[in-house]
Amino acid sequence: MRFKCRAIMKGKGIGRLLLLNEPFSFLGGVDTKTGELTVASGRQGEPIDGRIFVFPCGKGSTVGSYTIMDLKKHGHLPAAIINASAETIVATGAVMAGVPMIDKVDLSLLRDGDCALVDGDVLDMMDLDERKVVTCILRRKDKILLLKRSQKVGTNKGRWAGVSGFIERGERPEETALKEVAEETGITTARLEAMGAPLRVREGTNVWTIHPFLFEVGDEKVVLDWEHTECKWIALDELPGYDAVPGFRLVLDSLHL
Amino acid sequence: MQLTPEEAEMLAGKQGNGKKKAMELLVALGEIYGADRLIPITSAHLSGVSYKTIGEGGIEFLEEMAKDSKVSVPTTLNPMGMDTMRWQEMGITEHFAARQMHIIRLYEKMGVEINCTCTPYLLTNRPRVGDHIAWAESSALSFANSVLGARTNREGGPGALAAAIIGRTPNYGLHLDENRRPTHIVEVDADIMKEEWSLVGHAVGRKLGSCVPFFRGLGNDVNGLKSLAAAMAASGSVAFFMVDKVTPDQPKTLEGLETVRIARKDIEESVQRLTSSKTPDLIAIGCPHLSENEMKQLASFLDGKTKKKDIEVWFCTSKGIYLRCPKERAVLEKFGKVLCDTCMVVAPIEGVHKVTASNSAKACSYLPGLCSQKVFCGSQRELLEMIL
Repeated sequence: MRFKCRAIMKGKGIGRLLLLNEPFSFLGGVDTKTGELTVASGRQGEPIDGRIFVFPCGKGSTVGSYTIMDLKKHGHLPAAIINASAETIVATGAVMAGVPMIDKVDLSLLRDGDCALVDGDVLDMMDLDERKVVTCILRRKDKILLLKRSQKVGTNKGRWAGVSGFIERGERPEETALKEVAEETGITTARLEAMGAPLRVREGTNVWTIHPFLFEVGDEKVVLDWEHTECKWIALDELPGYDAVPGFRLVLDSLHL
Repeated sequence: MQLTPEEAEMLAGKQGNGKKKAMELLVALGEIYGADRLIPITSAHLSGVSYKTIGEGGIEFLEEMAKDSKVSVPTTLNPMGMDTMRWQEMGITEHFAARQMHIIRLYEKMGVEINCTCTPYLLTNRPRVGDHIAWAESSALSFANSVLGARTNREGGPGALAAAIIGRTPNYGLHLDENRRPTHIVEVDADIMKEEWSLVGHAVGRKLGSCVPFFRGLGNDVNGLKSLAAAMAASGSVAFFMVDKVTPDQPKTLEGLETVRIARKDIEESVQRLTSSKTPDLIAIGCPHLSENEMKQLASFLDGKTKKKDIEVWFCTSKGIYLRCPKERAVLEKFGKVLCDTCMVVAPIEGVHKVTASNSAKACSYLPGLCSQKVFCGSQRELLEMIL
């Protein structure tokens, strides 16, 4: 799966991800003579040579730019740097030392040890597959419809979800949404209320790209198909009592529910 | 960011590797901060001069840049790690001195004026109102923005060098009118003297962090304002402030701004926070570098007195001011060393000294972290009386 990012220092780097969850300071965070992370990084002893080094953003002294040059001098540069949001110190060091660097990356989709290629402004996560789906929330008088997924579906068996389905090739997400609502609930008079920005959730080697939709429905009766075994109209504050599919709360958030 | 055909050519490496690297850096910084284009600058001032701060990594970068590129606008340097004439008296090792001189020669090769000071505006590098510049010394750039009315962001050393080579800088931040507006009003009590403005700066930076304060109760005193700028940059990363009736950009409105008062107790609190010892083995005056006027004041206070206590004393200034003040120097040399082109923060004093006294809140802020020093923060008078 390929992600379009922002190139801070254009270049090509391939390697396994070394992922830190905290902001990182090169000054004090890495031993330039050995290329190993220090205790300050939380991953003491881990070598950064040849890894794609991922952390949310830089922090600390501006001398950090020179620390990256020092790593170059000792032959311990990472293959590339990925930040959620670049700042001056690391960006300056990456340009000075010629380390490929990108930012505007959703780090929640990356895992330590993943294989990746940084090439210009593209991040190619070689082992990840993208699955594009819609998730539709049906609302009737302040209650939303939860459906319990049957044992016959491919994923998330037995968990609670909204109406969902794969976006077929060539289909627009809103077409998929209307089609799935009709198939899974029998409701044909749903009125589109809102579309959320697409969300991405990582699960194993899959990245689910979820297009959220909100529909208002009237008193039409819900008729389930083979994909679900049960349905319930619930108030939003009852949701924590249900074992919902991953990312369901994020879908609600993106629809401002 | 929109690049001109010439800039695109430099980025593609058609005008050499140094310019390519410099353009890559300017474009990367411009992208991060959402600049629309590069704008011409009239001067640059570089940090990253002392071997102590940039080390071998910095030398490698400068060697690469110096291979085929030169600065294209007047460019000055920050203080280095030693006085080139008196490094042995300062306790500097031969290795350090050799590497330091190597750095200086690399800058010289790139066409940089070798005048190593944090107060370039007192000498040859004095921007005019409205000039766009790329300066990297936090106190100097704040002074240039706030007192001279020039426009610069808080540059890092490599970014300022890149701007000096290309002669341009990304158009964002303090280059734009919309960011040159006050965020707070600061009322300074009338009983606070200009000798204490360094501590006023420390207190404001400490209380408000990165902000644009509009000061009332301060006058137009170059020496006071340079100390204020330095301290506020050190404690709060302040790059721009306004002084009522002094700063060329005066605010259009102060409506809705929070007012903060700086009183005697704030000054006292700053002194207390900065002080960790009362027994210095080094007294260092001249952060920022001493002006001609300050040299004269010091000399007239000390003239005719005798040094009674054997404590090392440094008066730090620029080569330019040093040369202008031969008589004052003769007086001051009876009490300590008048050092050029260096200071107590960027020189490797750790290992030689343990407790340093200074009247600069900036120096007192950096000495513990950068030089492993305990600190005595006192007025200039208090410091001098320790040796009389």
